[in-house]
Amino acid sequence: MNRMHGIIFAYGKCEKMQGLVEHRVVDSTPYAARYRMIDFMLSSMVNAGVMDVGIVMQDKYQSMLDHLGSGKDWDLSRKHGGLRLLPAAPKSDPSRGFRGKMEALAAIESYIQRIRQEYVILANGALVCNMPMGDILDEHIRSGADITCVCAPRRINGQSTTYLVAGDGTITDVVSRGGEEGCGALETYVMSKKLLLELIAECDGHNECSFHRAVLQGMKDRLKLHAYLFTGYAARILSVADYYERSMELLRSDVRRDLFTPERPIRTKDRSDASTYYGPGSKCISSLISDGCIIEGEVENSIIFRGVHVAKGAKVSDCIVMQDTVIHSGVTLKYAIADKNVTITEGRTLMGHSSYPLVISKFSVV
Amino acid sequence: MKKEVVAMLLAGGQGSRLYVLTGKVAKPAIPFGGKYRIIDFPLSNCVNSGIDTVGVLTQYQPLELNSYIGSGQPWDLDQSEGGVHILPPYVAQGDQGTWYKGTANAIYQNIGFIDLYDPEYVVILSGDHIYKMDYAKMVDRHKRSGAACTISVMEVPWDEAPRFGIMNVDGEDNVVEFEEKPRNPKSNLASMGIYCFSWKELRKYLVEDEGDPVSQNDFGKNIIPNMLADGKKMVAYRFAGYWKDVGTLDSLWDANMDMLAREGGLDVFDNEWPIYARAPRKAPAFLGQNAMVSHSVITQGSTIEGTVENSVVAHSVAVGAGAAVRYSVVMPGAVIAPGAVVEYAIVGEGAHIGAGAKVGAGPETAKDPDQWGIAVVGPFCCIADGETVAPNKMLDRNHEEVLRK
Repeated sequence: MNRMHGIIFAYGKCEKMQGLVEHRVVDSTPYAARYRMIDFMLSSMVNAGVMDVGIVMQDKYQSMLDHLGSGKDWDLSRKHGGLRLLPAAPKSDPSRGFRGKMEALAAIESYIQRIRQEYVILANGALVCNMPMGDILDEHIRSGADITCVCAPRRINGQSTTYLVAGDGTITDVVSRGGEEGCGALETYVMSKKLLLELIAECDGHNECSFHRAVLQGMKDRLKLHAYLFTGYAARILSVADYYERSMELLRSDVRRDLFTPERPIRTKDRSDASTYYGPGSKCISSLISDGCIIEGEVENSIIFRGVHVAKGAKVSDCIVMQDTVIHSGVTLKYAIADKNVTITEGRTLMGHSSYPLVISKFSVV
Repeated sequence: MKKEVVAMLLAGGQGSRLYVLTGKVAKPAIPFGGKYRIIDFPLSNCVNSGIDTVGVLTQYQPLELNSYIGSGQPWDLDQSEGGVHILPPYVAQGDQGTWYKGTANAIYQNIGFIDLYDPEYVVILSGDHIYKMDYAKMVDRHKRSGAACTISVMEVPWDEAPRFGIMNVDGEDNVVEFEEKPRNPKSNLASMGIYCFSWKELRKYLVEDEGDPVSQNDFGKNIIPNMLADGKKMVAYRFAGYWKDVGTLDSLWDANMDMLAREGGLDVFDNEWPIYARAPRKAPAFLGQNAMVSHSVITQGSTIEGTVENSVVAHSVAVGAGAAVRYSVVMPGAVIAPGAVVEYAIVGEGAHIGAGAKVGAGPETAKDPDQWGIAVVGPFCCIADGETVAPNKMLDRNHEEVLRK
């Protein structure tokens, strides 16, 4: 317990996420009917006994700030440590975005120096998975590695880096645009605080920004890199198409079992919603439904967030409907992603396609 | 630190009329309405009314209730000054303490707690009522009238009045007489068991009552009649809206059904008066491809593959394929296995209804309507595959039948 410090990179920009990231970063995008993407990484850390977590942010972080608050919903509102929000910018030019993780880490170097734990886990806020981080640290210590890199058995969607791994778990090569061989990188790393500070100093001195290139590829002969094989569900979301597909996978019970394993519950901001009410004559099948909704119409194959109202006579299928959106009667909505607080007025018909779901931005009235 | 108002919530009753449901938990900790427990209503009312200091008097089976209340954070009652405090009976100097002998004695034993906050007014609440009420309005009425005690009352149908404590009032709603369960009621204003006292007055009466060896140390039986006899100014505060004492199995079932019909006055979707609860961390509910849910509430963590009609389903419940739940209350973690039918029943926390089992039946099926009643499966009770639990039957956690008195 409390041997490891968490750092989450949560400044994901991604043009292919279109309207979904108009007012937010990828990491704070609503996901899985009641969560934000970052909840999965943050909960994985808290469930492993991590008590201090720093969140590196840049730009469009209002939605993240609003979501995380003091961190109390993750039990991270603490006198000492707990959740630390770290808005940061590159030291050399604060006006531009980070060119890589090493540049982001250099920007929060003074914070890292004050870390009270011996080990640090670095992770992406936009990777959806429920990782046993305690096991990862145990294996890191047991293997005697300098850096443990978490990976999936195969390349996961949206992630091009692969590791070639020897029988003893040692990473022999890090391939940027690999084929189907090797393990898929999940960009989650464990190392000692001491090594992390050395790497920051060295990369900063040589104007190196990329953890991937400068550390993993550049120092692979010097450092002992160990692969931790994570076999659970993992999703990296980089586009609207990814978002839609990965969301729809949640309707599969094996995926839900994996992500929502009872021993490691996913925590999120508490809203105190009532239980969802299903009206007489409503029909709701093959769907994931959060609390606080009023369902009076028909819902099929959809993911419905907290506080959504589907009026009588409305038909929603193959959709993702985010919090507090209201769908009036007579509406037909198919293959659409309705962001927060959208209003779809009476009788409208909106349809995307499974390969190109329609995104309706936050607060819009259709 | 001084507080104007302190609320004291009586949560120690055994709840014996809820039989198997209160075997291991105090009544206020019983799940209600899908997301809630009974105590969420008075606690949320306190916070919404601006009362930030609440003492919860516990005695009977308090562990689950204590753990549920915790720091009070879900209700925003984790205050640096005040907040929610669990007050169990305790031993004082020279073995002075005892179990709480009655409602008034419970407050008497915690005079020290109330004095810490030196309040002007103390509001006394019950932990077994479902209602939404702005206590600030009652305190306002109390202040303006200059009364020693204000009693919250509501009009009940005249034929039901003999079941209640009835307040007889004058033209200005001053209480002139109090009758406990009168055979021939003179008024239909029933006491709701919610009082606002000026603390100085109440403190004096509590001390005097404690010195009376024949007193039952009860608000309704002793404190209120004593104050009336002394000619203290006592006023009625009229409450209109939904209120239900859920102290019996039937009333608990009724109140759950009432919650489904929002126009009945118990609207938990109202953002102006939210009811807070400690919510377990659960995934969203999943409704399978053959799910049929109608006029019901379903809570997160549940998986519904069968039919749910006119029912209240709490978190982490599984309703299997081909199973049907009708006119029933299903508490957290219960499993209704495939093909089972549950009708007009209360299924306790963690109970398991085996495949093809049949629990309860509708009143229309009863030969003798007097013998009909809702079926109750106690918490963690296992009903075997294909077993039948007749209407009106009640089973405890060990599957032993318990008779209603």
